[in-house]
Amino acid sequence: MAMDFSYKETWLHKINPSLKLLIMVFLFIHLLMIHNTNILINYMVGMLVLYLFFTGHPWKRLLVISIPFLLIFLTSSTSMIFFGKGEITWAKWGLVHITEESFFRGLHLGFRGISFAILGIVFALTTRPVYLFYSLMQQFKLKPKYAYSFMAAIRLIPLMIEEMQTLHYALQVRGVQGERGIKEFYKKIKAYSIPLLSQSIRRAYRIAVAMEAKRFTNHGNRTYFYRLSFSKFDVIFLCYLLVIIPLSYVTATHFPYFSITDVRFGS
Amino acid sequence: MEKGLKLTDILVTIIIALIFGVIYKLWGPLYGVVATLGIHLEQLIYGMWFIAAVVAYLIIRKPGVALLAEVAAAQGEFIFGGEWGVATLIFGIGQGLAAELIFAAFRYKRYDMLVASLAGVAAAFASIGIDFYYGYIGDLALWNLLILFGTRIAGAILISGIFAHLLVQALEKTGVTNLVRPATKEDYQALG
Repeated sequence: MAMDFSYKETWLHKINPSLKLLIMVFLFIHLLMIHNTNILINYMVGMLVLYLFFTGHPWKRLLVISIPFLLIFLTSSTSMIFFGKGEITWAKWGLVHITEESFFRGLHLGFRGISFAILGIVFALTTRPVYLFYSLMQQFKLKPKYAYSFMAAIRLIPLMIEEMQTLHYALQVRGVQGERGIKEFYKKIKAYSIPLLSQSIRRAYRIAVAMEAKRFTNHGNRTYFYRLSFSKFDVIFLCYLLVIIPLSYVTATHFPYFSITDVRFGS
Repeated sequence: MEKGLKLTDILVTIIIALIFGVIYKLWGPLYGVVATLGIHLEQLIYGMWFIAAVVAYLIIRKPGVALLAEVAAAQGEFIFGGEWGVATLIFGIGQGLAAELIFAAFRYKRYDMLVASLAGVAAAFASIGIDFYYGYIGDLALWNLLILFGTRIAGAILISGIFAHLLVQALEKTGVTNLVRPATKEDYQALG
């Protein structure tokens, strides 16, 4: 199957990948400290703008990718809404006990899940893995043996998927038919995973021996095919965040959507 | 001799991890569909997210492999656009460290089903710890929280303990594990 994955390069693509990753981790930690749904919603909208307008990918693709977001919202929120602690009861059927507190806490978790998803997707759509690992070597002093192993391994994934397809045909041609039941399921998993794993390990081993012979493990004074450094786009990204985040706090205080400002129980 | 893991160990670990990274990515929607019920049935399959660390360690049997594998698998899921984004990375580091600690506690000398299961359970505890901040699970009704604990730990034992061990046992029959494991005492005696 040929897949067209072309996109326009935007300023998000030109941000230093290591810095982008570091900022993502900081945003993650910061997001965990937001307990006010009003702030979170504004924050999420700020990130959504990046996703919708600045990834450089066509609309159709963005739309398809965003389908799981809804699922994330549901999975992150339902159990908290139905079974979370709270005092102001809205509804009660048997074990299900929906309270005002649990509802808003669930909602908060849903928005939080979506925020992480957006950030992750924005990173994935605008960062080439090769650049990321080159940058990690140059800016974060990641050892080349790790970085090159990663890059080599990513290259091996398509081969592996092809192999899986071949395996599938091979089993089909020999009339291996899956039946239902746990035991059959286990057999099926084994029939695929054992050949795939063993072939991949053998291949990885051969490649690694060749890479060692070619001194890919060398660190210290090595040269790089791609040189990555910082640029004005890093500053633009930081400025964007420095505007959006305070703005989401300010608007949340002046124009709140809900009256609840902390979704944790007993606060 | 170079200190730490050799490039061979690293590449083999990472390829194993990335295979599971792809599975992790596919596991997300499956988990999502089961999870909407809200009664934590999905936790039974949560254990799949700990498997990379255990399988890689059981295959290569060296210090550091479990952590590297789990982080690499999480990184893989992340760069393939996993639904949980950066959260995956943090969970990966936590779970990998927990599994690594168990293997270290046995001084990297035991490779049986019990140790694999223990590592799975440790990873489950790490993920539960992060979930207190990430998912406010402390604010769930107590019975619900206990079900979450129980099913997640049971799933960890089933998938990343028992299943992982069976998988590697089957893999040993192909002879591929001999390529990547360090030489053991018996190997030297055989040379003797």
